[in-house]
Amino acid sequence: MSGRVRILDLAGARAAILHRPHGNVSAIERQLRAIGLSVESHWPELPPDLSVDFLFFDVDMGFDTQFAWKPGESPMPMIALIGSEAPGRIEWSLSHGAHAQLLKPVGDNGVYSALLIARAAFEAHHRSASRIEELRERLSARETVVRAVMALMAQGMSDEVAFASLRRMATDRRESFEAAAARIIARHDHPKSNGSGS
Amino acid sequence: MKRRIEIGILLSRTGGYAAISNASFTGAMNAIRKVNEDPAFAIELSPVVRDPEGQIDLYAPQCKSILKDSTARHILGCVTSWSRKEVLPVLERADATLWYAVPYEGFEASDHVVYMHACPNQHLLPLLDWAMPRFGKRMHLVASNYIWGWEINRLAREVVTTSGGEITGERHLSLGETGVEDMVDEIIEIRPDFIMNSLIGPSQYSFVKALKARMPGLPILSCNLTECELPLMGEAADGLIAAGPYFHAPGLDFANSHEAAAYASTMEMARLFHAHPGGENLPLADLLALDNGAGPIDAQTHHTALPALIAKAEGGRFVVQQSLPARPGDPYLTRPERHHRRPSLRIVT
Repeated sequence: MSGRVRILDLAGARAAILHRPHGNVSAIERQLRAIGLSVESHWPELPPDLSVDFLFFDVDMGFDTQFAWKPGESPMPMIALIGSEAPGRIEWSLSHGAHAQLLKPVGDNGVYSALLIARAAFEAHHRSASRIEELRERLSARETVVRAVMALMAQGMSDEVAFASLRRMATDRRESFEAAAARIIARHDHPKSNGSGS
Repeated sequence: MKRRIEIGILLSRTGGYAAISNASFTGAMNAIRKVNEDPAFAIELSPVVRDPEGQIDLYAPQCKSILKDSTARHILGCVTSWSRKEVLPVLERADATLWYAVPYEGFEASDHVVYMHACPNQHLLPLLDWAMPRFGKRMHLVASNYIWGWEINRLAREVVTTSGGEITGERHLSLGETGVEDMVDEIIEIRPDFIMNSLIGPSQYSFVKALKARMPGLPILSCNLTECELPLMGEAADGLIAAGPYFHAPGLDFANSHEAAAYASTMEMARLFHAHPGGENLPLADLLALDNGAGPIDAQTHHTALPALIAKAEGGRFVVQQSLPARPGDPYLTRPERHHRRPSLRIVT
């Protein structure tokens, strides 16, 4: 993963601020508009049809039922607005998966870096989550692979040749190693369907 | 009887970038004289001058000194971005305003600064749009080692690689460093299509002289070079290419865009203070709200609309090669409609 940030695609981005009306909200709104984002503010509830690219949320007065998603599964980067640095509130903010933070009182700057950092953290989180899911699937297919290799060895192949054969089948059909293994087992378990081409 | 208003002038009239500061100083002083002599203005401007001598650690104390020792709440000044960043916290605490009148790298829109000169959509983007169809897309980056050079290089790299170009190298020199031989040797070896030069002060002067002596035909481009620095490079300056909102031509008032922008800043202060008595003591945002869009400053970004000119140095002056109409400043490059990118195939001379 490169540390480069993309600056040329914030054009037209939208942000929402979940915070009671306050000078801090005006300061964030001013910065967002200067940067070029459109902005809406809500408190205490978010509209059900919320459609924004970034969400700033209040950590001091925030509560779980404000969000329509499970903690840590926000559909957009979240930026925590922290006033009281009490550990309980920081824990709550972390449980909701804050991708970046801004300390209150909000002054003349800080919003732009928070946007870029939150977006990078959000994307990194999603990349690792999908990688973990992929690895989990491969792990759970371990037994399938072992059975497929054993089935091929039962036909007289050595273990090395069996592995190579599986890998070649996967490459030829542009499928995963695990999917190829699953087909071997199906063929082995239902030999009559072999050769049907599907 | 005119109302007397103090304004701060925070410019390093000595040190490495004194040529630029002095150009700004001239513009500000000419505007002050003009306002004070003009009976149509109900105000008289009185400059409170400080000279940080190009030393970064003197900017914050001298900015504080203006705010403490006078009634000035509006200050024209700073040349480097580094110095501007130094005074920002001081301005914020005092609700004072900096009128910043030299080109910069963008990515800032302080509530306490007016940006009166060009940012990248007004200099770098039109410059690269102009250069790539003419010279090619193999760009070599040289810069002084601080925020102006870093950010101009970063953005130039993004723009050129996005258009399928190549970065042949990127080299930095510390501020004031004049040992340019390695940098020049490398360029002779690589033979890029053009140089994007973001060196400032003596580093730039040495580099231009050394490279011109060895590879006179290689285009050297800059986003902040104006007439005020051409004499410091002598004949080596011939052929340098610069982008900016203004270049001097016979019949035009200002010697360079630094002078023009400082003059425009001071005149705009005078217009605001004249139109809104007491406005000189207001925070910038309140003053602009009161003015309700009557002036050139964008209330959201505090930037202004400026033309984008590309010019080539010839015999100590700049000759404009291309002139694009005024476009609003877009400091975060989030408003593509403000970029007016020229179709890359059209050649205008």
